[in-house]
Amino acid sequence: MTLGYFWSILFLSLHAMVPITLTAAGEVVGERAGLFNIGLEGILLLSAFTGALGAEAGGWPLGLLVGIGTGAVVGLFFGLVNAYWKGNQLITGVGINLFALGFVAFGLQALGTPGFHDVPRDVRLPAIQTPVGGLSPIVLLALVVPFAIHWFLNRTRAGLWVRAVGENPEAADVAGVPVELVRLLATTFGAALAGLAGAYMAISWMGSVTKEMAAGRGFIALATVVFSGLRPILTLAGGFIFGFFDSLATWIANIPGVKEAVPWQFVSTIPYIATLLVVTGVIGRVRFPKALGVPYRRE
Amino acid sequence: MRRLRATLRAVAESILAAAIGLVVAGFILKAWGYSPISAYIALFEASFRDLYGIAGALANATPLILTALTFAVAARAGLFNIGAEGQMYFGALAAVAASLFRLPPGLHLLVALAFAGAAGVLWSLVPSVLRATRGVSEVISTIMFNWIGRYLAFWLVANVLVDPYRAEKTITVLPGSRFPTLVPGTDLSYAIFLAVAVALLVYFLLWHTVTGYEMRAAGANPDAARYGGVRSAGVIVLVFLLGGITAGLAGATQSLGRPPTYAVYSGLPQISNLGFDGIGVAMIGRNHPLGIIFAAVFYGGLQSGARVMQLFAGIPLEMVRVVQGVIVLALALPELLRIFRILRRRRVELGGER
Amino acid sequence: MPEPLLKAEGIVKVYPDGTVALRGVDFDIRPGEIQGLLGENGAGKTTLTKIISGLLPPTLGRILLGGEPVRLRSPKEALARGIGMVHQHFALVDDFTVLENIALGTGRPADRALRASVAELMERTGLRVPLDAPVENLAVGERQRVEILKVLSRAVRILILDEPTSVLTPVETDELFGFLRRLKGEGVGIVFITHKLREVLEITDRVTVLRRGEVVGEVLTRETSAEELARMMVGAELRPRGRRPVELLTDIPRERREAVRTGVEPVLVVEDLRVPAEGGGEAVKGISFELYPGEILGIAGVEGNGQTELVEAICGLRGGRGSARLRGREILGLPPLELYRLGLAHIPEDRWKYGLILSFTVAENSILGRQRSPRFLGPLTVLRWGEVFAHARELIARFSIQAPGLEAPAKSLSGGNQQKLIVGRELSKEPDVVIAAQPTRGLDIGAAEYIRDLLLGLRDEGKAILLVSADLDEVLELSDRVAFMYEGTFTAVTTPAELDRERAGLYMGGMRG
Repeated sequence: MTLGYFWSILFLSLHAMVPITLTAAGEVVGERAGLFNIGLEGILLLSAFTGALGAEAGGWPLGLLVGIGTGAVVGLFFGLVNAYWKGNQLITGVGINLFALGFVAFGLQALGTPGFHDVPRDVRLPAIQTPVGGLSPIVLLALVVPFAIHWFLNRTRAGLWVRAVGENPEAADVAGVPVELVRLLATTFGAALAGLAGAYMAISWMGSVTKEMAAGRGFIALATVVFSGLRPILTLAGGFIFGFFDSLATWIANIPGVKEAVPWQFVSTIPYIATLLVVTGVIGRVRFPKALGVPYRRE
Repeated sequence: MRRLRATLRAVAESILAAAIGLVVAGFILKAWGYSPISAYIALFEASFRDLYGIAGALANATPLILTALTFAVAARAGLFNIGAEGQMYFGALAAVAASLFRLPPGLHLLVALAFAGAAGVLWSLVPSVLRATRGVSEVISTIMFNWIGRYLAFWLVANVLVDPYRAEKTITVLPGSRFPTLVPGTDLSYAIFLAVAVALLVYFLLWHTVTGYEMRAAGANPDAARYGGVRSAGVIVLVFLLGGITAGLAGATQSLGRPPTYAVYSGLPQISNLGFDGIGVAMIGRNHPLGIIFAAVFYGGLQSGARVMQLFAGIPLEMVRVVQGVIVLALALPELLRIFRILRRRRVELGGER
Repeated sequence: MPEPLLKAEGIVKVYPDGTVALRGVDFDIRPGEIQGLLGENGAGKTTLTKIISGLLPPTLGRILLGGEPVRLRSPKEALARGIGMVHQHFALVDDFTVLENIALGTGRPADRALRASVAELMERTGLRVPLDAPVENLAVGERQRVEILKVLSRAVRILILDEPTSVLTPVETDELFGFLRRLKGEGVGIVFITHKLREVLEITDRVTVLRRGEVVGEVLTRETSAEELARMMVGAELRPRGRRPVELLTDIPRERREAVRTGVEPVLVVEDLRVPAEGGGEAVKGISFELYPGEILGIAGVEGNGQTELVEAICGLRGGRGSARLRGREILGLPPLELYRLGLAHIPEDRWKYGLILSFTVAENSILGRQRSPRFLGPLTVLRWGEVFAHARELIARFSIQAPGLEAPAKSLSGGNQQKLIVGRELSKEPDVVIAAQPTRGLDIGAAEYIRDLLLGLRDEGKAILLVSADLDEVLELSDRVAFMYEGTFTAVTTPAELDRERAGLYMGGMRG
């Protein structure tokens, strides 16, 4: 009985962890390169929508690809505006979020049911069957990606470049590193991972698309980046903590007895309160790249 | 003279961005099989042709002016307060809560508005203090508070303020605390005057008081502001205070002044996203209270036109937010107007400096 | 004499803003020689070496490398041709390890092969640094070694060091010199930029002196002296535009100078002021002085010797320890507005950082720091625009500020008029003490003279003025007393009358008086 609870909450948490960890790990790469993307929320939503459409057109592999591609395209745009044209990163991010909110709501309504779209079971990503329930393969991927990013950032020359352009673009420039290009690619990569996360939500985890499905996860991912201190492996821990509180809400709401005593609305606030507490707790101890958010201009 | 030229350029940029927004959204409409040109004709005819259309635009503009002010005041002081959404929920509900008791008409409205402003401030308090004392990014804290606020508002609607006879909504606001309707048969009430008055007040505050001077200084050059004796913690607290009041009032205009419903429904359908739309409106209005009034009427017109368009052409209402998103993205480009010139010059002088 | 490794001929550099940094400089670098490049701030030393190392293109002139004319388009290209430069401001990524920084600089992966070759290089040169330590944990001297290793790992034949000792402790400096001598023995041509005379004499073989973009002397080190170098560096001739040549400073009425010494109470007393430096350590290392009414106390010195920190600490913009008393009242740690109320005015060294809000109008800028004074502050904090405009108009008239209008943004004013606006505003605070930091920097001659006249007028009105300037001529011309600041302390405090230019050059170069 108790063990059953343990497994069920672990499984719920792992699935809830995925979008946050993937998005945060990607954003770590972008922020390490010096770009701060608050449009992640919008990317999650957009790619959930396009990913679902892709899956319905050509099965789940196409769905995942379209989701990743959507994220990459938005990231490319974000990178062009901010790395090359020295635009305003915060405004661009807000624009992406507003656009996504409108576009997805528009698309859902155009598809028929306003605000909701069900992804047919046969085009969803098949789950791995385990004794305790179905496990999405993306969960396994999300467990690996942060390690891969850690390796990339710390062990490869390209990773060195990414960190250099975020920390000291002048030094990187003097060393012959193409600062703008590296920033563009880094933020595009990060956005593509957010795209994967969005597609995962639509065609694997939730199996549906709604206007509000991102539910602040893009921002929680930003908070996770803060929590991790921009260390990719720690986005696993951060993602799991938030995933745990996220699923705790679902779980508590279904316990007989508790359900009646504690309003579900209160339970739903848990992940956000947890996020706020964690960010408040770690702030000041986190060291951000020196050139984060600062456009690079040669003297 | 120079100030005029700068103003004209800002206006031109906003208009250009709006045009880009409409064009890009037009392509999206086309991609989904709608005819953008006839859609836009229908949209603008519906919203700006007659009194009813204009009244609809103004009714939509009313809350947007106020939530846009929340963002704009912060932006002028160098902060990125995106918490209007949540603060607005509590404004709307606090205004309803004022109908739990009875007061003389008129006075009741004032008390309800005071409730709303106070509720907005209350909900901005924690992000404000966290930013001023611990340096917690207001971007993250206000977004988290929006979500927390959303669920608490759900709960308040369903449990505390619930209409004993109709579980899907709150109690109805008493007539004595309502804004009178301005144009009968439309949802435009006198609340528009409140919104415009607050915008003018904010304008006055920013450009005609020392407090506003110091806020703008902190936003324009924090170092020089420090040299000039401006205390940043004070500015932060003030920005959130003002933002909370305007956002709270924005909510109140919806529960007290948006006929025919004088209540908040479960799921917050009438007020959801007014805070986020206000951010876009603020950006289109270039964070200037007067610009915001025009931007809000423009956007409000799009919204009411889109409603008609949805009814007759079946084009989803949400198209409007796509337009807004693209406009904001266009405005994110530095010195938008210059980009055309730069592109032209690039072609001329290939090579140039290293 | 061996063939030069590099010859620069007729180098002229005009910056986009019209500043002429170099006016036709010939320069060569020879193998196995350490050449000193000496000059004051703005003499063109850094510009010249930036051109040689590929960071800047020359406006005119050419560079010959081994007799062949070359165009160096980037530092990378210069490095590939064997020219390496170690900048004064290190191009290091703080949170990278030493090895990672070297990898970034050399374009190689931070792998075992690189580690081995760097270890070998450290062995050979004696420049040892912990390879896996993050650079931010290293002392400044160690960071410099990383920069040098970065350059040396590219097999350079020419090594340029821009003010390499300005950040080093004496022990570190000795270590660096030992290393440079060894490198010289290997046939590398070394250029050593500095303004410190002692070091020039100690380490170089030949000295080239630049002043105002021209080579004013080239001598063999063993045939020269500190006095000669100082004279060449600061120039023996009179300032052509000056109206109060230094020699005439003895004209200051004797009784005034006596009054300064004996009579009145000092208005500002600074005692053992210590200000932490940004990168750790102390930028101001225990400075004490007294400032009297009716005098200008000039602080001369090469920039970066703690002047900025000293001023910002006194003016409430930076924390410091020790004591600073204005009319007997402790002011360290007071907020700026309180300082202004007590009678302090601050003309900041960085016009665009502190002095002005560029997007604000002239009128708005005219009250920065005075916005809460009763004249402008109405009931409910309403700003009395009428008074603000009147005030701005007064400033414009009194200080002949050329502005397109009261509502024009400050960024539309020329540098000179921006500075006049700041100075005017500060003086409108009716201060007793004026702290003027680099008040004429970057201004055209007319505007600079205007500001200087103003400072002299203020002194004659009985104000106390602390003048910080990197322009030695200016300090000597205006000051009643001069202090020389070097590495966070005063090397000498004296009067211009008791000073010749040679001694001034020596004090600026770190010799104590």
